Amino acid sequence: MKVDPGTYESLPDVTPLGSALDWKWLRGAKSEWGVHPKPSPRGLTMLDIAVGEYGEVPEHPTHRSMAPRGADIDPDTVDMGYILNRKTDVWADNVRELYEEAVARQWSATRDIPWGELQELPDDIEHAMCQLCTLLTEVEMIAADLPAKWMWRMNHDFIEAKMFLCTQIMDEARHAEVFRKRALSNGGGLLVSRSSPTSLLRTIMEAKTYTQASALLHLLGEGFILDIFRMGEMISPTDVEKRMFRMAMQDEARHVAYGTMHLRYAVQQDPDVAEEIHEALDHGEQVLMDFGASPDVATALAVLLGGGVEYIEEKGFPLAFEMNRKQFTSYLARCERAGVSRLERTTVPLDFLGIDPDDIRRAGGVSLGANASAS
Amino acid sequence: MSPYSLEVAHANAAAIDTVAFFAALADEMNANPDRFSVLGEAEMDAVLVMQSDDHDFCINLRFEGMRCDEVVEVLADVVHLADFCLEGSLSAWRAMFSDIVENGRATGMQTINALTLLGEEIKLVGSDPMGIDKFSRFNQTLQEFLDGAVVAFASTMKP
Ligand SMILES: [Fe+2]
Ligand SMILES: [Fe+2]
Repeated sequence: MKVDPGTYESLPDVTPLGSALDWKWLRGAKSEWGVHPKPSPRGLTMLDIAVGEYGEVPEHPTHRSMAPRGADIDPDTVDMGYILNRKTDVWADNVRELYEEAVARQWSATRDIPWGELQELPDDIEHAMCQLCTLLTEVEMIAADLPAKWMWRMNHDFIEAKMFLCTQIMDEARHAEVFRKRALSNGGGLLVSRSSPTSLLRTIMEAKTYTQASALLHLLGEGFILDIFRMGEMISPTDVEKRMFRMAMQDEARHVAYGTMHLRYAVQQDPDVAEEIHEALDHGEQVLMDFGASPDVATALAVLLGGGVEYIEEKGFPLAFEMNRKQFTSYLARCERAGVSRLERTTVPLDFLGIDPDDIRRAGGVSLGANASAS
Repeated sequence: MSPYSLEVAHANAAAIDTVAFFAALADEMNANPDRFSVLGEAEMDAVLVMQSDDHDFCINLRFEGMRCDEVVEVLADVVHLADFCLEGSLSAWRAMFSDIVENGRATGMQTINALTLLGEEIKLVGSDPMGIDKFSRFNQTLQEFLDGAVVAFASTMKP
């Protein structure tokens, strides 16, 4: 509604107690006014309100405060101590979409898992499921701690990226919750925790830059965990575990999608960042391979994949090897997509795993099916 | 004899490689927003390919929000335009739907995730890892959609 320019001129300059008043926000702030974003069919999304100046994310924000992007901001705002002040440090082109997806697809580990359908399982299978859940309960929270470690250092103009990371933190809390609940809910309990998972977690936590941390966490670590969830779903003894892994899988794939596209954005804007990412992954792949080969992870998965201790040699270990091949195939394909090709540099034993780099390189498709052939 | 044996027999004999069958699955999804609203909105284009001796049946399913709004038979040479593609023999797809009808939902190695992870009967393929990962991002929605076969068979089997 248009207002007569003189309407707000006669407002008081001081409060009844004598404090100065300022009507700038009413008389004409310099920020964009009169925006009318149209809600999409699902409601008013973050993509819908990314209109005009409000949708423009600066490459190099001029402020270091928590002032909202697009507002009429005083030049002397307080410096919050942000160190991630370039858009390339944190941004991903899919981050608004992923935020909305995350909010829309939240679930409850209390309510949405049919806990009442748990069944008594053979002793070795229950032990293996509990061991897997022990490990997952341990590693999940790293993916909450890591974003939390960096978020308060991110410039507030990258609010959508920070909001997405908030959803990731909630997701990881729920993952720790659901796996802990599963370990404790069927007559078993938490089992063995040893040093190799912690070494991986520490490597991720101690990354020197956020982009290195994102490569280690979102691309490498969570890509690997995503495939463990897919494996978990496949070998779940009942629909309780199947649903648990499927729901967690959905969340995990969002985290991987953010990381893949963040790295891509960073490398596209500044090709020199690629070397920084490679250095992190050189070390990360080694630690991850140690983690995958650690005795508790390898044995628990082999028992579940085999269907019992009596089948580990004949079925469990061969299937675990095949799954390992798929995990690294998926990881290398995502690296290609991120613009950080690892095919010439990886320390993953591709020959030993039976991974042909040309299959991953070849334009036109990557099959994540039985033999990783291009399609 | 299983109380479901008649339905399973129907599932085995049913023409699943038809637009009508997938339209029935979409109708079942769209008629039950409660089942899908707890899962949240999904955005994906999935192509299912059913291979048989005489031809490959390719169906594109477009999921938007809480609905499956597009069920279109497509030619084999455009399946790469989808986010991901699920390829398997007609008999593998029949086995999957039979399991759903028999158990009320996919079980064991017949869930779409298990089938594609093993990759022997049905493969998950695509030209973009980000598209392929949508299979994981919306997996429960896709599984619920396929589980709708319990009702879709009943409706399409009626004389
Ligand atoms: Fe997680
Ligand atoms: Fe995660």
